[in-house]
Amino acid sequence: MRARGAGLHTLVGAYVMDAVSDADRASFERHLLTCEQCRTDVRGLREAAARLAEAAAVSPRPELREQTMQAAARTRQQPPLVVSQKRQFLAGRQWRHASRSARAGARPWLARVALTAVVLLAITATVFGLHLSSMQGRLSAAEQRDTAIATVLGAHDATTLTAKVTTGGRATVVMSHGEGALVFIASGLTRLPAAQAYELWLMSPTGATPVGMLPPARRGMSGPMVVNSLSTGEKLAMTVEPATGARQPTSAPVVLVALGS
Amino acid sequence: MEKAGSDRGDGTPQSRPSGKVRPDGLELLLAEVAKGDHAAFRLVYDQAAPAVLGIVRRVLRDPAQSEEVMQEVLLEIWRTAARFDPSTGSAAAWIMTVAHRRAVDRVRSEQRASERELRAATASIAYDEVSDAALTSLEHQRVRHCLDGLTDLQRESVTLAYYGGYSYREVAQLLGVAVGTVKTRMRDGLIRLRDCLGVE
Repeated sequence: MRARGAGLHTLVGAYVMDAVSDADRASFERHLLTCEQCRTDVRGLREAAARLAEAAAVSPRPELREQTMQAAARTRQQPPLVVSQKRQFLAGRQWRHASRSARAGARPWLARVALTAVVLLAITATVFGLHLSSMQGRLSAAEQRDTAIATVLGAHDATTLTAKVTTGGRATVVMSHGEGALVFIASGLTRLPAAQAYELWLMSPTGATPVGMLPPARRGMSGPMVVNSLSTGEKLAMTVEPATGARQPTSAPVVLVALGS
Repeated sequence: MEKAGSDRGDGTPQSRPSGKVRPDGLELLLAEVAKGDHAAFRLVYDQAAPAVLGIVRRVLRDPAQSEEVMQEVLLEIWRTAARFDPSTGSAAAWIMTVAHRRAVDRVRSEQRASERELRAATASIAYDEVSDAALTSLEHQRVRHCLDGLTDLQRESVTLAYYGGYSYREVAQLLGVAVGTVKTRMRDGLIRLRDCLGVE
């Protein structure tokens, strides 16, 4: 990455140990949106830091236990996230950008707007949750992912593309070259045997780069998946592979989306 | 490196010498806590409170204040259990992240410039105390062993940041090294610790 990104990357240890200023934290969390490796690092280093905490364990005074239980009994819990809340939230914030910049294509605009709505709806829970969460601004990995999704959807150059999957179903891509990332979602995909799964690839003239396995569908919807590090002239492909994943595609793509530039 | 998506199942360390927090159990318990199960919360408390209090007290030092913050942390877990996502890491890591951040926030909000200078002056004492007292018991020898595997500068950077609650700038000043060096040592030290502990 650029020098600035590389400089930020070294902050990962300090970030995980809360040894950063608020300004540092904000810029590092912005960096996390576009750095998948950093998100992986954060997750692993947090596990290590947790072990440091466990090594320092001391027994609390026994009476604290009941005090805490009583306080909990008086404290209302945050509910899990509900779809209608998400939709409401998303409708206000991301709908405008995403639909405005949907690229003209063969499908009538209404269908494209509808598709965008489906994507927005499927962008799970957590985007809304991020704003509700009172974890004092700290982003969990899931929240980071959802922030990344929101960033793509909210980008000024967000473009929606759809394509038919040859084995059944449709794939929808919301892409932002400005953010260098896309959100992939598919519906109605043919169910695969347990030993197989759909795998996504970025195809460039120099070869195929694996970008991840599509999680199993829920209620007919697969994804959303965030794909980072787009560069020009690439295509997004999906193939059927062994469930453990392949390093290179072993079969012909069931969908191929040209990402343009 | 770990896989991007599914690190549950296969990723949990096999033998956990500290025995204070058993992540598998905790994840299941949190799911029950999310539904308002008080009995499950009691078990979460039993498993997590000692480590929460431990790290909060390392950072805050003041015993009464530490107990208060520990209770705040546990209540936060109670309140937000429904928002915990196991695909993003272990429950223990989630809880300790909340705990450490709370402790550090408390320090930063209370500690004003002049006070911090005073605190900096006593930092070396704080560090010795940490390395002796925190890590001598038998069940924590693995963590201690792994800390011993770090270079001096890595170990000092990590312990001052995590146990001391110092920012990397403060650590740089305390150790008399460049800010960039400290950032790198914190990262490398924590990576080495992660690899040594076999956490995924």
